[in-house]
Amino acid sequence: MQQRSALEPLPVSKDAQRVVIEQARKALGGIILGKNQQITLALACLLARGHLLIEDLPGLGKTMLAQALSRVLGLSFQRIQFTSDLLPADIIGVSVFRQDSSEFEFQPGPVFSQLILADEVNRATPKAQSALLEAMEEQQVSVDGTTRQLPDPFFVVATQNPGDQIGTFPLPESQLDRFLMRVELGYPNEESERELLGGEDRRSMMKEIVPVTGPDMLIALQQSAREVHVSDALIDYIQALVRHTRESADIEIGLSPRGAQALVAAAKALAFIEGHSGAYPDDVQAVFSAIAGHRLKPAGGTRFRSPAELCHHVLDSVAIP
Amino acid sequence: MNARPRGTDGSLLTSLPWTIGALALSVAPHLPYLPVWVTAAFIGCSAWRYVIEKRRRALPSVWLRAGLALACFLGVLATYATISGVGPGSALLAVMASLKLVETRKRRDQFVLLFISIFLVMSALLREQYVWSLPYLLVAVFVIMTAWLRMSATPGETAKQSFSTGGRLLLYAAPVAVAMWIFFPRIAIPFWAVPMDTGTATSGISDSMSPGDVSSLSMSNAVAFRVTFDGAIPEPRELYWRGLVLTVFNGRSWSLNDPYKGPRVHEKVSVQAEPISYEITLEPTRQPWIFALDMPWSWTLERTFMGPQHQLVRALPVDQRVAYQAVSYPQFETNVELTESARDWYQRIPDASNPETRAFAREMRAAAGSDRAYIEAILQKFHEEEYFYTLQPPPLGSNSVDRFLFDTRQGFCEHYASAFAVLMRAAEIPARIVLGYHGGEMNPMAGHMTVRQSDAHAWNEVWLDGHGWFRIDPTAAVAPDRIDYGVSEAAFEGLGAAWGLSAPSKLVHNMTLAVDALNAKWNEWVLGYGPENQNKFMQWLGMRDPSWRKMILTMIAIVFSLIAVISILLALRYRAPAKDPAAILFQRFAKKTGLEQEVGETPARFADRARLANSLPAPVIDSVTEAYHEARYGPAGPAAFVRLKNTVNAIS
Repeated sequence: MQQRSALEPLPVSKDAQRVVIEQARKALGGIILGKNQQITLALACLLARGHLLIEDLPGLGKTMLAQALSRVLGLSFQRIQFTSDLLPADIIGVSVFRQDSSEFEFQPGPVFSQLILADEVNRATPKAQSALLEAMEEQQVSVDGTTRQLPDPFFVVATQNPGDQIGTFPLPESQLDRFLMRVELGYPNEESERELLGGEDRRSMMKEIVPVTGPDMLIALQQSAREVHVSDALIDYIQALVRHTRESADIEIGLSPRGAQALVAAAKALAFIEGHSGAYPDDVQAVFSAIAGHRLKPAGGTRFRSPAELCHHVLDSVAIP
Repeated sequence: MNARPRGTDGSLLTSLPWTIGALALSVAPHLPYLPVWVTAAFIGCSAWRYVIEKRRRALPSVWLRAGLALACFLGVLATYATISGVGPGSALLAVMASLKLVETRKRRDQFVLLFISIFLVMSALLREQYVWSLPYLLVAVFVIMTAWLRMSATPGETAKQSFSTGGRLLLYAAPVAVAMWIFFPRIAIPFWAVPMDTGTATSGISDSMSPGDVSSLSMSNAVAFRVTFDGAIPEPRELYWRGLVLTVFNGRSWSLNDPYKGPRVHEKVSVQAEPISYEITLEPTRQPWIFALDMPWSWTLERTFMGPQHQLVRALPVDQRVAYQAVSYPQFETNVELTESARDWYQRIPDASNPETRAFAREMRAAAGSDRAYIEAILQKFHEEEYFYTLQPPPLGSNSVDRFLFDTRQGFCEHYASAFAVLMRAAEIPARIVLGYHGGEMNPMAGHMTVRQSDAHAWNEVWLDGHGWFRIDPTAAVAPDRIDYGVSEAAFEGLGAAWGLSAPSKLVHNMTLAVDALNAKWNEWVLGYGPENQNKFMQWLGMRDPSWRKMILTMIAIVFSLIAVISILLALRYRAPAKDPAAILFQRFAKKTGLEQEVGETPARFADRARLANSLPAPVIDSVTEAYHEARYGPAGPAAFVRLKNTVNAIS
């Protein structure tokens, strides 16, 4: 934390930052077709210094999105395939004894990367899961009594396979809360799918991606996203939403204060991406489902089939003050 | 009547415990006075109803309910033989409320129950009006209020919220209640006099004395009266509170004069030394006796007269607490000749009763030589022989004095007074018994003296030729400490244990004193606020010749202005979600588009819709939306607001 504040933000104007963001969006949109909304949310999540959980069926481009993000943003990338025999050391790293120097040397694990794809995170045991989740929370790991700082920016994209029930360990609510956002990708529309089928191979395209920015710039962007203006009127709106989730008979567990903070941070990041002068109600509404979907617990026997539906219902029932 | 009992759906499960609780609080002050089966009925019905709701059973059929109602009505009738009065009335109300619980199906029924609760809790004031009645009442009303709010609570409302709302509402009502209490006219004629239950045990001295009477009083800690002395407090040995005078002995018990037979000539009194002036607040006794320090000289209580034996008698029984000032002379003489008939009257004892005592008395009198010597000898006998002062004496037979004097030799004031009077009369010395109180305890916290039922006392007056009636307290000869210290202090001196009194701890004693002080102030300031005090207070407030009309009008005026002031204060305090000026402008714009903004629709999405609706040119819509966003959500609010204002105003 100390180090970061010592870093001087790059002397880049807000306009230049916006150009970078537009470029990044464009580059990502060229690879992941027809998923502009999810790409924007993923970027917002990154700018809000949160972690992302993508929940969807296999083959919908979860891995592709994570990889593309690292490429476009110029971040070091590691992929950890979570399996039931994955050990915490496989994530964090191990100390190896060196014959020549007679000393232990730490071999950093894949977690020491700027962008980590934790693939199928619910297939690993809770022990392995919590090793990652702790690293996410603290942005540091402790091995053999030594605390090691993880790189900055540090962004975890975890994927979860919802259909898979056998042999999985679904993340409990408390762990889900560590992810700022949860998004679903969904099938591409017909047009995008046609382009995908007829067009170039995505993997070779990926190799050709030129990064539009680097880690330092990303930190500056994150700083700018934090500085987005939040008016009292918007806080009123967020409070009204949060209050509704707590008081509604349809919802058993409403948004916590941390959830409300997440909503503000995400709305600010999105407003920055969209170039709004401050966080608008539209920004709040756009991120609401991704923020609240995995944090709300619907009451038993309600009519809502999915968290997204419940979130839309909340948005439709709360007047914007 | 053809309504089929329907199953309950558990929808009352949240509000029902509150209703039951409110009802329990309002029934509770009555229950100790009511037959046990009323308590059983209440608890039974509450549990029954709760289980019905919990298990979603059906309510009992109308026939069962009607049968129960009839049974309860007959039960009340059988217990009291009437249905009017506080006892039967509250019993009926309590059982019917319990039964109403069993047919409570909807919110409306619960409202009815809460109304009954309010009524019950208020009617508890007909029974007792102690200091603690007020806080209890407030708590009960608070709970009833909360139960009310619980019933009409919105789904998300917590019990805590209802509680604080209820508290706030009561707080707003408090000034209005105080104003009404002060100004509601107290009318001297008790046309709404409380119908007191007849036959309920009255505490206090009764108009006859048979062995064991005062004993039950000695165990009672109830306050008889409170005294505030104007000057110095007299010595304990002077504190003889004269009550009534018993002159007729039937061999076992003593009673009053038959007013048509007994001596009716007023005895002249001459007084000496300094008078004592004081004020007495007498608790209701439902008896006509008025107590005052021996010898009463003047008093301020209306319709109160002095009887032939210097006893104060009121024309009406003391049904309510009364306060009066009195002046007494502790040193006095009644030096007038006794008429033959009166002398005869004060010497009468039934011929057949107590033969041993009479024989003994004649013997002693003959041996003593003079009346004074005889009296001395008798007191000496009590003092020196084995006579014991105890509050738990063995029972005596029909020749009570014989048995007491020569057999049991244990007793307290009334035994000694009775025996002494009989011994006197047997020796042809006129004697009588005075019933009253002796002593009293100063309450240092309040500055008054409290005389309790346990201070009840009986002593003698004997006629000595040339001297008049002379007070003799034979108890003093047996247990001088009883007279020197009084009962409550004796309990501390360790003497009480010998008499069968349990010594209270110092802490308990101090608490008793504090409660006593509080009660005295309560009586004085709250319960004592009757017609007289109200009149004084009104005049002090500046009302000329207060009449009930003026008071009612003042009350109405004050209550309405209070309501107005409270409403205005609340209105001022209420922060309406201040409508942002920018939001108002946007609403004006929205109106001009001819569309209505939906709940949860952002300005941007509304603008999209407006653009499609085409009622306003798209550039206008864009610039309004942009300016509105800037003004409300952007960092440059004021400048953007001017832009917004101009744009909206420019729309024709």
